Amino acid sequence: MQKLALRNLLRNKLRTTLTVASLMFALLLLSLLMAFLDLLGSTSGASDNRIIVRSAISLATLLPESYWRQVETLPHVAAVTPLNWFQGVYKDDRPENFFPRFAADPATVFKVYPELSISPQEQQAWAADRRGFVAGKALAVKYGWKVGDSIFIKGDIYPMDLDLVLRGIFTQPRNADQEKVIYFQRQYLEEGIGKRGLIGTYVLRIDSPASEVAVRKAAEAKFENSDFQVRAETEKAFQLSFAEMMGNVKLLFTAIGLAAVISIFFITANTMAMAARERTAEVGVLKTLGFGRGQLLRLVLGESLAVGVLGAALGCGLCAVLMPVVGALLAKMMPIFGTLRMSGGNWATGLSIGVAIGLLSGVGPALGAARLRIVDAVRRVA
Amino acid sequence: MKIPLKYNVRSLFVRKGTTLMTIGSIAFVVLVYVGVLAMAGGLRAAFSAAGDPSNVVVLRDGARSEVESFFGQDKERLLVSLPGVARDAQGQPLATGQALILQILKHAGGGETNVSIRGVEPAAFVIRKQVRLIDGRPFTPGKAEVIVGRKLAAAYPALRLGASVNFGRVPFRVVGIFEAGGSSFESEVWGAVADLNGAFRRISNYSSALLHAASADDAQALVARIKGDQQLRLTALAEPQYYAEQANVASAQFIVLGNVLAFFLAVGACFAAANTMFAQVSARGHEIGTLRALGFRRHTILLAFMIEAAVLGVVAGVAGSLLALPLNGVTAATMNGVTFSEISFSLRTAPWILGMGVLLALGTGIVGGFPAAWSAARRPITELLREH
Repeated sequence: MQKLALRNLLRNKLRTTLTVASLMFALLLLSLLMAFLDLLGSTSGASDNRIIVRSAISLATLLPESYWRQVETLPHVAAVTPLNWFQGVYKDDRPENFFPRFAADPATVFKVYPELSISPQEQQAWAADRRGFVAGKALAVKYGWKVGDSIFIKGDIYPMDLDLVLRGIFTQPRNADQEKVIYFQRQYLEEGIGKRGLIGTYVLRIDSPASEVAVRKAAEAKFENSDFQVRAETEKAFQLSFAEMMGNVKLLFTAIGLAAVISIFFITANTMAMAARERTAEVGVLKTLGFGRGQLLRLVLGESLAVGVLGAALGCGLCAVLMPVVGALLAKMMPIFGTLRMSGGNWATGLSIGVAIGLLSGVGPALGAARLRIVDAVRRVA
Repeated sequence: MKIPLKYNVRSLFVRKGTTLMTIGSIAFVVLVYVGVLAMAGGLRAAFSAAGDPSNVVVLRDGARSEVESFFGQDKERLLVSLPGVARDAQGQPLATGQALILQILKHAGGGETNVSIRGVEPAAFVIRKQVRLIDGRPFTPGKAEVIVGRKLAAAYPALRLGASVNFGRVPFRVVGIFEAGGSSFESEVWGAVADLNGAFRRISNYSSALLHAASADDAQALVARIKGDQQLRLTALAEPQYYAEQANVASAQFIVLGNVLAFFLAVGACFAAANTMFAQVSARGHEIGTLRALGFRRHTILLAFMIEAAVLGVVAGVAGSLLALPLNGVTAATMNGVTFSEISFSLRTAPWILGMGVLLALGTGIVGGFPAAWSAARRPITELLREH
């Protein structure tokens, strides 16, 4: 039986190849879409031990510096560091030259991000130089920066340009994204824009993930009746809020994926119908020889299932190979694509779609073959 | 000697099932392509409806959007009184300082996004004639009232007519709903700039100034004058230019996405078209042999099959475009990548977008059909005639 199904598949090699190839491309696309969706929902480097406090109005509104000491004294808070998103332009406007630039406090930033390691000497050197900055190793390698090098960043959100000197390089072996960031002294920014004492976000490290709810509630309650109310959320929730702002992208991608699946269904069903029509007479002969309905059903279904699974496996395989390449290309426009990878879940979904399409597209022809009357079939031989 | 087109079309539909399924698969590819491009088209339309060439947008020097820009009342007064700014019948300048504030609000469908809140002065309604109340009444300055763009009112429960919404610690009442010709303003909340600055405790009162000139040329002169003034430290640009940048940033992602998707799906569909055309050729070996024996040349046969493949593609393209037509006018929302606030827009299946869809399908048919057509033309007559 299996042998017969296999032979049938190879009978029209061109057709099988074309069908498998079209399935492969559709699944390649589907896997790309899925991987992209995973990426949107990912919270790289987020720790359960950190809470972000920001203005309840939006990120574009800043908080007073005086809140710093007040959040520090909340129970369960181990350390607090302020961060201001500077944005700005390094070299040119191209997205590949974009990386996060934060105005930070040298004395506390590494207490809140203990996973970033830096030598005490470099940390001191940074603290001692108002124009100093520290960079993640991945960035330093990308641009060939050495300690002592100067870089220039043109301001856009803030009305000042940065003239910075590299004083240290920090590493985070477990998460490359966290190494693609620079921190410079917030004092430098404050002086440049006239000591306005404004802070974008306060990052809190708490004693344990269990105190998260208590700390968030306490922080929000503390400033409830002040001029600037705050919103406190876990680092994970904070990162996810950006994906949320992308709008109904998820819905769009699901719709596209669905259309792609319908499109491949048409293609495979078409092939199976063509294959079945070609072999009507043969089915008659098999029936005459005593093959039962069930056997014929399995024969045709087995063939289409093989096409479905083969196409899906090739598509997913090709995707796994191509994904890093495609990711690197897309990263030039949107840096988050740099980590585009095929996950186990993507494999599972891709292969199940292959199985489903294989079975569905074979059902019609298989039933046709099983129901065929020998007389009608054999009559067609001539 | 040419083979009549009728022959091609009829041959295609002899094997109805196969042909229809291939048309179906290509049509879905076109649907996806047109759908994604319609998002880009809709975004562009929303932003281009916002720009008037006789208007000038003034920002802080170095800022690229109103969200990044801020300056004080002194500069705003100076800008409004610049010569070159048009005046109304009472001699009042047609100019307004604006504050653009982002506020997190809960979306009706769950989730939260940044919504643009725009503080304006009365002249804003004279300058932006496309803004028109469709429900309720205008806001009264000093009374903590706002009016809401039609697209937002539908999507945010807190912004329905009559609702009360907290800005900073001040409750504002929604007293009117406006439309603005489908422009991006329909994704904004408008109120009196002084009320909003007070509620949000803003130190620098203005994000931008909007100046209306008598003509596009006068607007250019104003731009040059503001840019040339080193003391002001401001930058200016014509309004269409300001919105064109936002349109480009916002629609670029959809254009890239659409093309990447179309490429992969179309390659897949090419194989389907190839399958169909090979089936056509192999089923008609005898027929091709006869045509050749009658004196039709190889290139005529090639052309005939290519025309068949092209017809297949065009029919699929038209079918896919028709499938995509109901998307026209569907409301979608995404993030304005320049201001980081939500922009709602209506999908536009503009004629050029439908045309691109048909072209894609035509290309798929031709590329997919070529190998089969080539093999049909190459096979020797004797071999062809021997087939049944």
